[in-house]
Amino acid sequence: MTPMPDIGTWVAALLTLFALSFLYKDNPLFRFTESMFAGVSLGYYVGTTLNQTLVPNLIKPLTHDFNQNWDLLVPGLLGLLLYMRYVPKTGWVARYALGIYVAYYIGLDFTRRIHGEVLPQLGRAIVPLSKLDSHTIFYSLVFAVGVFSVLIYFFFSKEQDAVTRRIARVGTWFLMVSFGAAFGFTVMGRVALLIGRLNFLILDWIYPLIGIR
Amino acid sequence: MNFEFGRVALVVLFALLPIVGIALGFFVPALRARGPLFVAFFAGIIPILSLYIPRQFLSGETGMRPRLDQWLIIVYGFALLLGIVNVIQNGTRKIARREKGWPYSAVLMTGLFITGGLGIWGAVSGQGITTLPDGSGTPFKWIADHFFLPLQATIFALLAFFMASAAFRAFRARNTEATILLAAGILVMAGRVPLLEFLAAPFPPLQPAAAGASQGLGKLTEWIMQTPNGAAQSGIIIGAALGAASMAIRVILGIERGYLGLGGGE
Amino acid sequence: MAGFVDKLLNLDRRWLFLLVFIGVAVPIILPIGLPVTTTGSTRSAFEYIEALKPGDYVIISFDYGPSSAPENDPMAEGIMRQCFLKRIRVVILALYQLGGLQLASNSIAKVSAEFPNLKYGEDYVNLGYKDGAAAVMKRMGDDIVGAFPADVRGTPLAQIPMMKGLRSLRQVSVVVTVATGLIGEYWITQAHQQSGVPVIVGPTAVGAPKYYAYLNAGQLVGMLGGMKGAAEYEKLLAARYPELGRFYRSTRAFTATKGMDAQTVIHFIIILFILIGNVAFMSRRAAQKKAAAR
Repeated sequence: MTPMPDIGTWVAALLTLFALSFLYKDNPLFRFTESMFAGVSLGYYVGTTLNQTLVPNLIKPLTHDFNQNWDLLVPGLLGLLLYMRYVPKTGWVARYALGIYVAYYIGLDFTRRIHGEVLPQLGRAIVPLSKLDSHTIFYSLVFAVGVFSVLIYFFFSKEQDAVTRRIARVGTWFLMVSFGAAFGFTVMGRVALLIGRLNFLILDWIYPLIGIR
Repeated sequence: MNFEFGRVALVVLFALLPIVGIALGFFVPALRARGPLFVAFFAGIIPILSLYIPRQFLSGETGMRPRLDQWLIIVYGFALLLGIVNVIQNGTRKIARREKGWPYSAVLMTGLFITGGLGIWGAVSGQGITTLPDGSGTPFKWIADHFFLPLQATIFALLAFFMASAAFRAFRARNTEATILLAAGILVMAGRVPLLEFLAAPFPPLQPAAAGASQGLGKLTEWIMQTPNGAAQSGIIIGAALGAASMAIRVILGIERGYLGLGGGE
Repeated sequence: MAGFVDKLLNLDRRWLFLLVFIGVAVPIILPIGLPVTTTGSTRSAFEYIEALKPGDYVIISFDYGPSSAPENDPMAEGIMRQCFLKRIRVVILALYQLGGLQLASNSIAKVSAEFPNLKYGEDYVNLGYKDGAAAVMKRMGDDIVGAFPADVRGTPLAQIPMMKGLRSLRQVSVVVTVATGLIGEYWITQAHQQSGVPVIVGPTAVGAPKYYAYLNAGQLVGMLGGMKGAAEYEKLLAARYPELGRFYRSTRAFTATKGMDAQTVIHFIIILFILIGNVAFMSRRAAQKKAAAR
């Protein structure tokens, strides 16, 4: 005798069915589920951020060892300052916190983009084409042509002439191969999710319900 | 008290300067825009300069950059929750005025307050939000496992159906580009799974041939992914990264100020 | 003929939905057991971990949520099993806000139960979730405790035995980022590039095409692309470790290998959809051209 599905499984199964009901048509059960999803997700944000970031990285260091961590009061206050945007008239003071927050992360992003994306990717595109064997043609040459034609396609600063237009056209073909491949992969990803859900419904809910192991 | 250089310098830049700026801002409205841009410049330039200047005061253990990283983990947490204020404002308004669809807002708020409330309880009680020492789950975890997980997974799983329908209705070989897209899509979809083996399954004599052909198709798919797709992705990455890097410079230098609600810059 | 084509092109999409539903459900109920072939990028990920020594440190970063768990869970769990069998020390963390923590905790509970001889804090540790992925990685580059002062349950890292030998990312043998979205890219383009730590990525199928560019540029030591990549990894594990082979064959739980049956059927259905849709479209266009010529 297999154990009957517990209440948690029932809740999850019913919510899954409610969400899938949208495929037949839009209906109140789906709307209920969608709103519940939004609410629970936001609540999840609150729970994880509070317990996993704010408590261990801010509150505990301040309360347990203030002398070593006194300066953490500043990011705490900057964080609260962000919420001043909701106070009419003095909302502008939140700009200090927002400015620091955005500029820091964009500064980090700058280093990542140049150091981790532009340089290695350009390095990979500049390959020796001295030997004309099949590997060079099908890998290195095709690759180099692809990268540079796509870059020319994306170069909007100057109006394209007859030559660059042709090269850009080749670029679009490479992009189409990539988008087609991405479509194939995306199908795979979305279907994987559905497999996960039906797997749950069938193996964890229906089978125990009808007594199949 | 620990008064290492990095901490003190950060406090001067990101606490004292803003305090002075805010105080002056009440009297000189022009400073309400310039002050934040001035302070933001330092926040943006520190992570960049620290790569160029490997000196103790900037990137050393007691320097500014590591401590700033630690600070901004905290600020990020606060920023992440910023949107929730908006949601609560909109939700309570909708419910109070009985606007169209208000019961759904009530459902949303219920989900938010129960889950968020259990999260807050986890923090206050010290229980946390994962498992208790005896291995059992917290109430927050129960909600996460039985509400949050199936809801998120199923809402995204709906896309599988819409992709299939789009494949049938919109994926057309209208011109050269669309035909290339379609061919690449079909090849990749066929090459990433044992499709030929599946089709040959009812015909045992064909199976070895199917397995061989499937290997070839798999190799072709890998070539498509690595070479033409890899090249296009490289081109996209280089283009997008240069765009993002120049945007970063505009933000740090205060040319782009739209994010502060100050108009889009020049 | 024209009437049939029009009817086909205007078919209520719910019939298509039903076909997709059946295409996924039937192979779950009646598994086919189709073979999986491995690709170079998955093999290099596997061999890289295989070459590590007992006591080495591996970080497995859960950078995904329930929206891609059926693809990503089997990757993370497969690599965790391999590390546990080899007595490699595993540091679990999560940088994806919407569910990373929950999936990390569930996966480690599940897999550690299969290895009752391993001890929390000595063989593996769960550092939990942290906001601000880019800043967290930057901080971990010089000092992990600066980003994660405590583990998931609030125990200070100084009290966790295995963390005494681990100060920064530079001492980690490899970071495995099991990822949806941007965070996997951060590990490669920021953490790897700036602190030199090798990276293996397990992206969702949706993200995988982009990661081929990083793979090409030598920024990755290996990649497991989507459910297919996860199934390949399971195959490699089963071939190298007989006990895992038995486990993957007998478990009632979901595995990527089982999922590939339904994947195959659905790919077949969708390719059919595309072909039928195009044939109908072309025959209608030909008919319209003919009518216009008249």
